[in-house]
Amino acid sequence: MIRVANRRCIRNLSWKSMMAARTRNLVAILAIALTAVLFTSLFTIAMSINDAFQQSNFRQAGGYSHGGFKYLTEEQVDELKDDPLIWEYGFRRIVGMPEDAPFNKSHVEVSWCDENEARWMYCTPEEGRLPQENTGEAATDTRVLSLLGVEPKLGERFTMTFDVDGESTTQTFTLCGWWEYDEAITASHVLIPESRVDAIFNELDTKGNDGMTTYWGLDVMFKNSLHIERNINQILENHGYQSESRAKGDNFIATGVNWGYSGAQLMDNMDPETVIAIGAMLMLIVFTGYLIIYNVFQISVVGDIRFYGLLKTIGTTPRQLRRIIRQQALVLSAGGIPLGLLGGWLIGAKLTPVVISRLNGLTQGVVSLNPLIFLLSALFALATVLLSCLRPGRLAGRVSPIEALRYTEGGTTKRKAEKKDSGRVSLRSMAWNNLGRSRGKTAVTVLSLSLAVVLLNMTVTFTNGFDMDKYLAANSVSDFILANAGYFQTGGGLFSADTALSQKSTDAIEGQGGVTEGGRVYGETSVIHEFVSEDYYRACHGRWNDTQTLDWMVSNEERNEAGLLSDDIQLYGMERYGLDKLTVLDGDISSLYEPGSRNIAAVCSDDDYGNPEPDSYWAGLGDTVTLRYVDEFRYVSRETGEPVDPANGESYVMKVTKYHDVDYTVTALVTVPSALSYRYYGSDEFVLNDQTFIQDTGTDSVMLYAFDTTKGANAGIERYLKDYTENQNSEDDYESKATYAAEFESFRAMFTTLGGALSFLVGLVGVLNFFNAVLTGVLTRRREFAMLQSIGMTGGQLKTMLVWEGLYYTLGAVALALALTLMCGPLMNSAVSSMLWFFTYRFTLTPILVLIPVFALLGCVLPLAVYRSVSRLTIVERLREAE
Amino acid sequence: MSALIEFQDVSKVYEMGDSVVRAADHISMQIQKGEFVAIVGQSGSGKSTCMNIIGCLDVPSSGTYLLDGQDVGKMNKNQLAEIRNKMLGFIFQQYNLLPKLTLLENVEVPMMYAGVSRSDRRERARVALEMVGLGSKVNHRPAQLSGGQQQRVSIARALVGEPAVILADEPTGALDSHTGREVLSLLQQLHAAGNTVVLITHDNSIAVQAQRIIRLEDGRVIYDGDAHAPEAVVSPNLAGTGGGQ
Repeated sequence: MIRVANRRCIRNLSWKSMMAARTRNLVAILAIALTAVLFTSLFTIAMSINDAFQQSNFRQAGGYSHGGFKYLTEEQVDELKDDPLIWEYGFRRIVGMPEDAPFNKSHVEVSWCDENEARWMYCTPEEGRLPQENTGEAATDTRVLSLLGVEPKLGERFTMTFDVDGESTTQTFTLCGWWEYDEAITASHVLIPESRVDAIFNELDTKGNDGMTTYWGLDVMFKNSLHIERNINQILENHGYQSESRAKGDNFIATGVNWGYSGAQLMDNMDPETVIAIGAMLMLIVFTGYLIIYNVFQISVVGDIRFYGLLKTIGTTPRQLRRIIRQQALVLSAGGIPLGLLGGWLIGAKLTPVVISRLNGLTQGVVSLNPLIFLLSALFALATVLLSCLRPGRLAGRVSPIEALRYTEGGTTKRKAEKKDSGRVSLRSMAWNNLGRSRGKTAVTVLSLSLAVVLLNMTVTFTNGFDMDKYLAANSVSDFILANAGYFQTGGGLFSADTALSQKSTDAIEGQGGVTEGGRVYGETSVIHEFVSEDYYRACHGRWNDTQTLDWMVSNEERNEAGLLSDDIQLYGMERYGLDKLTVLDGDISSLYEPGSRNIAAVCSDDDYGNPEPDSYWAGLGDTVTLRYVDEFRYVSRETGEPVDPANGESYVMKVTKYHDVDYTVTALVTVPSALSYRYYGSDEFVLNDQTFIQDTGTDSVMLYAFDTTKGANAGIERYLKDYTENQNSEDDYESKATYAAEFESFRAMFTTLGGALSFLVGLVGVLNFFNAVLTGVLTRRREFAMLQSIGMTGGQLKTMLVWEGLYYTLGAVALALALTLMCGPLMNSAVSSMLWFFTYRFTLTPILVLIPVFALLGCVLPLAVYRSVSRLTIVERLREAE
Repeated sequence: MSALIEFQDVSKVYEMGDSVVRAADHISMQIQKGEFVAIVGQSGSGKSTCMNIIGCLDVPSSGTYLLDGQDVGKMNKNQLAEIRNKMLGFIFQQYNLLPKLTLLENVEVPMMYAGVSRSDRRERARVALEMVGLGSKVNHRPAQLSGGQQQRVSIARALVGEPAVILADEPTGALDSHTGREVLSLLQQLHAAGNTVVLITHDNSIAVQAQRIIRLEDGRVIYDGDAHAPEAVVSPNLAGTGGGQ
């Protein structure tokens, strides 16, 4: 074979033939862009959620440095900071923490840190700057200023009292910078100059007895977040230190790895189902992209088949023809992919907040602009394009030069020697037969059109199935619940006297008109134990602890005279209103109504669907439950039994020194509605009436106040509570049926938006496929139409036939969608019902019925529009095309 | 008696860029009912233009074309389609059968456009196929037939509507000589049965199978007469210089 340098020639041919098909190019660019849009929007949402997870974790971890070395001397800092593994470093010296009012409910740290550290701790002033050395300046957040009653205004002076290594000191600072308080961040910071730190230490003669004050913290950033722990240990090893144990020698240095990096990676935490779901989504996009791009190129090759045939007659090889097609695809990708990346990112940016707002504990951040989004999307889109070119390329390469001249779609089919006599030939049957010419193309077109219909119907069925009654019934048993804001926080702390609802708050509500009924639920703020068998103890705690730990727990837990093990419980004290809201599984709750009675209800846990979990309680009806109310206790060393301070990090156990036991009779087995529960789980629960609770526990901390209102007063109370919790008493918060209804609606809206967007994009793919199918069908049969017209077919008859073809496509797609929906409906019901407890399957065909006229119109209009372009050529011109 | 086909000073002009091509140049001719006429000419002589005009696929730029006394130039597209359907039967070089339809259905198609009832057109299509010798293959598809058989289906399709004129455009162009002869023989049989056949060809050996030859050159008629006369198959221009075929 003679090798010739003809790449330029091929490029030229490729370019020229591409430029001759402007409509095709537009459709192809649109198709490629659409595919890239699907990929980019998916990656944008995924990356943004990942970033939001990470940001959320960093805030909880207190910053985003990769890790750090704790409690260092100045010499150690100097030694470690220049290690070549460290990319950037930041210093911090903690001075102390305020503990008295107004900071008794807030975690605030007074410290000095450099600029890097401040940035990593989210302490970059929005106004002003960090404090300068040798001044009385300080920078802090708006929560600290608010608690101090100081306006966030530069130059304001404020005074605060805080503990420094066990000593209390009161210091006055001048505000030099402030930043907005972020609720997600666990601690607030007051940053002061290092010179002031030294001055305070001097003033108080601080020795650092707590092991923390006077020492340095060195936080570091490495080149990347991979192998943080390994890097930290390597640095210690490089300098002769270790972080394993203080007992191993004086060279111990405490270290910390920012778990935000290890725990935040969505990719690391993905369970197999998520991986499969994302994989399936990517496959779906590749498939839909393939469907359309393949169709565009297939159509294009079919349209240009004579051109390829001619090229072959002058010696172009199949490989060169494939290269021509591939080059055209690449050029079109250069136009379509950037468009798609931009469009996809914009769609992703719109959808991300909708998704993130539904994910618990995630704060809305900026939409990710990670270059990986664009790189991956472009690669996937390009791969789809190249994949889509394979078959059209093969077709162009395979075609015989002579056959190409006469090529009519499906004209060479040799499937059956004889066809059964159908007994009729009509415009409709001819249209039907025409669809059978390229069964693959017809199937792809109908499938892609119906896919959009099925998706839309599924979205509507899915969101329609969200049962607000179920949702409200499970989440809210009263019109309103008022409690401390912490009570409503997911992952918030345990209930304590500090987070109890004040008498003032309940009085304020009761003072409002329109409250019809209500009741307090008292929560446990002291230590209360029950006594259970070892088997039951092991069964309960074995869920969260390994055998070794469990053995240790069993051996250290106190036992009563009968040898039963003591265990924590969660006890409720409920007024009549709360007791009435309990679901009684067995027994009689009315015996609990009697004030001072020693009757108790044992609580059985239930799942999301309200089904009781039989293993979640031990006390049966008539059983006696002895509760030990711990009046005094102390912490003692595990090893020596001597009293210890848990803050020192030694292992300890709780030793009860004073208590009183009370026996109760179980008269009812109940489940507590989630809305009235502690909202955290892990211990056995019991319910007493309010009077007995107060009397026996000696506490009266109200966990929540639930109440109903008249219909007319409901909106007014909602407004009142909103104002009360925002402006009058911001420590309190409330939940209402209306907020749950709004939450429910926003949940539904998210799925409607996502499903709608996906259906729209897939629908667009379907319509483009349909357009392509019609276009090919008409273009490749130009000559045939001319022949039909020459033997007497009128333009009207031809149009009728084309309309029938269009209708067969679109209505066929609707019929297929209908069949698929009918088949998938029951599957969807069982799958979604097991995932969403508030889902009630409601079969609907409304979207399909609504789409029928739309598709019918599409089936009529599109073929006619395409035919118009062809009919501009006369019959003679079309007949001559093959001559 | 008026002619079945009558060209009165017919011209057809195409504009191609800046130049004007006169494909038919003041042609006047008449074809009577029952004639078998071959229109002959080299490439670019204007024979296809003539065929298009005769077949009502195109209209003259000037002059008048009367088909069975009707002025075709004044008809709209639908009227032309009706004329094509009812008065003309086309036989193409490439057969142009519909691949997804059976032979019977292919032959039925023109009658369907004409609104013939289903049972009637079915019966007529069967008869037409039997006439061309394909009665046993009515439920076959075109792809299962040889080229000659496909052309016979095309002939059946052309004559099934009992047209006034059968127009055959290079009907043997895609066939070997043996099959070509069979097809020509079939056309002669049709003529013998009283049909008017107009054959368009560039091949003199085919043309001489007709009764009469109209020879075209540069859009003009240079011979119109007996197909068996010596000058019928010799180009007059070439004859003048001693050349010939």
